[in-house]
Amino acid sequence: MSVIDTVNNLLKIVSDGVAGLVEGILGPGLGADLITMGLGALVLCTIVALVFMGMTWAERKVVARIQNRVGPNQAGPFGLLQPIADGIKMFTKEDTTPASADRWVYNAAPLIIATFALVTFAVFPLAPGVVGTNLNIGVFFVIAVGSASTVAILMAGWGSNNKYSLLGAFRTVAQLVGYEVPMLLNVIPVILLAGSMGLADIVQRQTLADGNPGIPFILYLPLSALAFFIAGVAETGRSPFDLLEAESEIVAGFHVEYSGMKFALFMLGEYVNTLAVSIVFATLFLGGYAGPILPPYLWLALKTAGVFFVFMWLRGTLPRVRVDQLMSLNWKVLVPMSIVNIIAVMILAKLFVTSPGLQAANGGILVTPETQAAILFVANVAILLSGLAIVARRARVLRLAEEAEIESRREANRAAVSGFAGGAPAR
Amino acid sequence: MLNGIPLYWFLLVSAALFCIGLYGVLARKNAIAILMGVELMLNAVNINLLAFWRYVAPNAAAGLAFAAFIFVIAAAEAAIGLALMISVYRNTQSVDPDKLDSMKL
Amino acid sequence: MTISQVLFIVISLVVLGGGVMVVTARNLFHAALFLIVSFFGVTGLYVLLDAGFFAAAQFLVYIGAISILIIFAVMLTRGVQLAQPANSQWPAALVVSVIVFAIMALMLGPVAVTIGQRQFGSVSWPNVVEGQPAPAVPDDHLVRLGQSFVDFNQYGAAFLLTAVLILVAMVGAIWVARDRALKDVMEERAELAAEEAQEAMLAGPVQQPLPLAETRSAEAPAASVAHH
Repeated sequence: MSVIDTVNNLLKIVSDGVAGLVEGILGPGLGADLITMGLGALVLCTIVALVFMGMTWAERKVVARIQNRVGPNQAGPFGLLQPIADGIKMFTKEDTTPASADRWVYNAAPLIIATFALVTFAVFPLAPGVVGTNLNIGVFFVIAVGSASTVAILMAGWGSNNKYSLLGAFRTVAQLVGYEVPMLLNVIPVILLAGSMGLADIVQRQTLADGNPGIPFILYLPLSALAFFIAGVAETGRSPFDLLEAESEIVAGFHVEYSGMKFALFMLGEYVNTLAVSIVFATLFLGGYAGPILPPYLWLALKTAGVFFVFMWLRGTLPRVRVDQLMSLNWKVLVPMSIVNIIAVMILAKLFVTSPGLQAANGGILVTPETQAAILFVANVAILLSGLAIVARRARVLRLAEEAEIESRREANRAAVSGFAGGAPAR
Repeated sequence: MLNGIPLYWFLLVSAALFCIGLYGVLARKNAIAILMGVELMLNAVNINLLAFWRYVAPNAAAGLAFAAFIFVIAAAEAAIGLALMISVYRNTQSVDPDKLDSMKL
Repeated sequence: MTISQVLFIVISLVVLGGGVMVVTARNLFHAALFLIVSFFGVTGLYVLLDAGFFAAAQFLVYIGAISILIIFAVMLTRGVQLAQPANSQWPAALVVSVIVFAIMALMLGPVAVTIGQRQFGSVSWPNVVEGQPAPAVPDDHLVRLGQSFVDFNQYGAAFLLTAVLILVAMVGAIWVARDRALKDVMEERAELAAEEAQEAMLAGPVQQPLPLAETRSAEAPAASVAHH
C-alpha cells in the first residue's frame, strides 16, 4: 500500500484497527460491537466538541471582519485561545435556577438538546467505509432526530417559568416545526435521484466511479439546494431567522434564565446543529467526501467549512426578518415551490433515464448522465424563476394597494383641513 | 436484534400499554388527557402490528403498510381532536367532557 | 440472559412507566412530557424489531409533531394544573382496564390454561417456532412497502384514501380552530341577542330589557359629568 493510499484511508485504517483490537480481546459478538461503538461515539463527540470551539472562534473572527472589527485577539495568537477562556468562564460562573422553575424540566432541557444534536453524527459518512452506522434511512434519521430540539426548547421555555422564555419557545416551535416541512420536501428529489436514503449511497452516487458521472446534486437540483439551505438556516435558528433569541424583542428567548454550563450546553447544541446541517448539505448536494487528489475526509471538512462560511456570511450581512415574513416565506414560497419541484423531478427522472436496464424495465428516453443533469437543472431554474415572478407580482399588487390607501387617507386629511379653514373646529 | 426475545413479550407489553391508555381514556377528567390515552392505545396497536410483521410475515408488506396507515390516522386524529378542544375551550372556557352536556334534554 | 433481552426489559419499563405517568400525572404538561418518554421507548421497541424506518417515523411524527401539538393544546386551554387527576369513575375504570389486560394476557401469554372445555394461551402463531430465531427481514422490505403503496392490487387505493384523509384533516383542523376575528364573534352574539329579543316580544308583552349598548350610552354622560 502506497503512502498516498495510507493517507487517503487513514480514518478507515485506524477505525478498523481499533475494532479488530476490541474483537480480539472480547471475541466477536454484540458485546464487542457495543464497546467499539461506544469508543467511536466517544471519539466522535470529542472531535465535534473541539470543532464546536473552533466554530465559535471562527464565527467571531469572520463576523468581526465583515463588520470591520478585529474580533477576539487577546487570548493567544489571533485570539485562538478565546474558546478555552470562554469555557473556563462558563465553568466558574454561578449556576442559577429560578425559584419558581419546574426543576426537572428546567435541568433536563439542555441535556436533551445537546445529546440529540450529537446523535445525528452517528450516520454521517466521513470517508469511504468510515461511518458510525450505515443506516439505510440516513437522511430521514438525521431530520427525525433533529426534531427533538423542538421538544427541548419547549421544555426550557416552560421550565424557566418566565414569560420571555415561554414567548421565545412558542416562536421557536412555530418556526422549527414549520421549516421542517420544506427541509424534508427538498430532500425527496435527492432521494429520488440517488435511489436511496442512505447517506453513503447518496455520496456514492455523486462520486466519479462505477459509471456515475461524479456530478454533485447541486448541479442537478439548484432549487432544492437553495430551499434546503434556507430551511437549514431557519432550522438552526441563525440570523436572519434568529427570532427565537431576538435580544431586542424577547431578551434572549428560551434560554434567558440559563447560566453557566447549562447555557454552554445550549450553545453547544446550537453550533452542533449548525455543523450537522452543514455536513448534511455538503453530503446531499456537494458530493460529501467525493473529490480528486485530496484525501476524502479533507474534502468533507473543506466542503463543510465552505457551507458554514456561508452561514457566517449571512449572519454578518442580513437583518432579522419579521415573524409574518418568516411564516409567509415558508408556507407561501418554499413549500409550494418544493412540491412543484418534486413533481417535476419525478416526471423528468422517469422520462429521461440513464441506464439501459431501467429503460428496458420502465421505458423512457435513454440519455447520458450529463444530459439528465442539464435537463433537471433547466427545469429547476425555470420553476425557481417562475415562482419568484409570481411572488414579485403579488408583492407589487400589495404594495400598490398600500400606496393607494395611504394616498386616499392623505386626500381625506387634506379635505378635512380645508373644511375647517373657514371657522372654528367643530366640537 | 431479537436474540432470545419471544413474540409474546412484545404482545404482553403492547397489551399493557393498551390497557394503560384505556384507563387514561376512561378515568381522565380533561379532554386533552383523554386524547393522550388514545395516542398510547394507537402506539400499542402499532407495536403489535410491527411485532407480527417481524415474527410471522417479514416477507409481506402488510404489517408495515398497516403501521404506516396508523401513523397517518394518528396524526389526523390528533390534529382534528386538538383543534376541536381549542374550539370548545374558546366557546365554553372548559375542556371537561362532563360539562359538555348542552345537547342533553 | 442476552443483551437483547436486557435491552427489551429496560425499554419496556420506560414505555410502561411513561404510560402510567401519562395517565396519573396531575400536571398536564408533565403528562405530555411523559407521553414523549413513552413514545421514545416505543421507538426503541421498533429498533429491536428491525423496523428502523418506523422508528425514525415514530420520532418525527409522534415526538416531533403530535406531542408538540398536545403541549400547545394544553397551554392554550390553560388547564395545566388539574384539581384532581381522575374523575369519579376511576376505580371502575381501573377494574375494567385490569380485567381487559388479564384477558389479553391469558390469550397471548405463554401459559396454556384450560377453562371449562376450552384452552387459552400458548397460541402457536404461523412461522413462529419456540426457541428458534425469527425469520430474517429481507433487505428490500422498504422497497416492497413502497411498491405495495402504488400497486392497486395491494394498498394503492388505501394509500390514496389516507392521503385524502390527511388533507381533509388538515383543512378541517385549520377551519375548526381558526381564530375568528373578534368583530365577527361580537356581530354573531348581537344577532343572537336580537333574535332572542324578537322571540320574547312575539311571546307576549313583557317589559323589554334595554340592549347593552344603549344602557352604556345612557350612563355615559352621567359618568363623564361625575368625572368632571
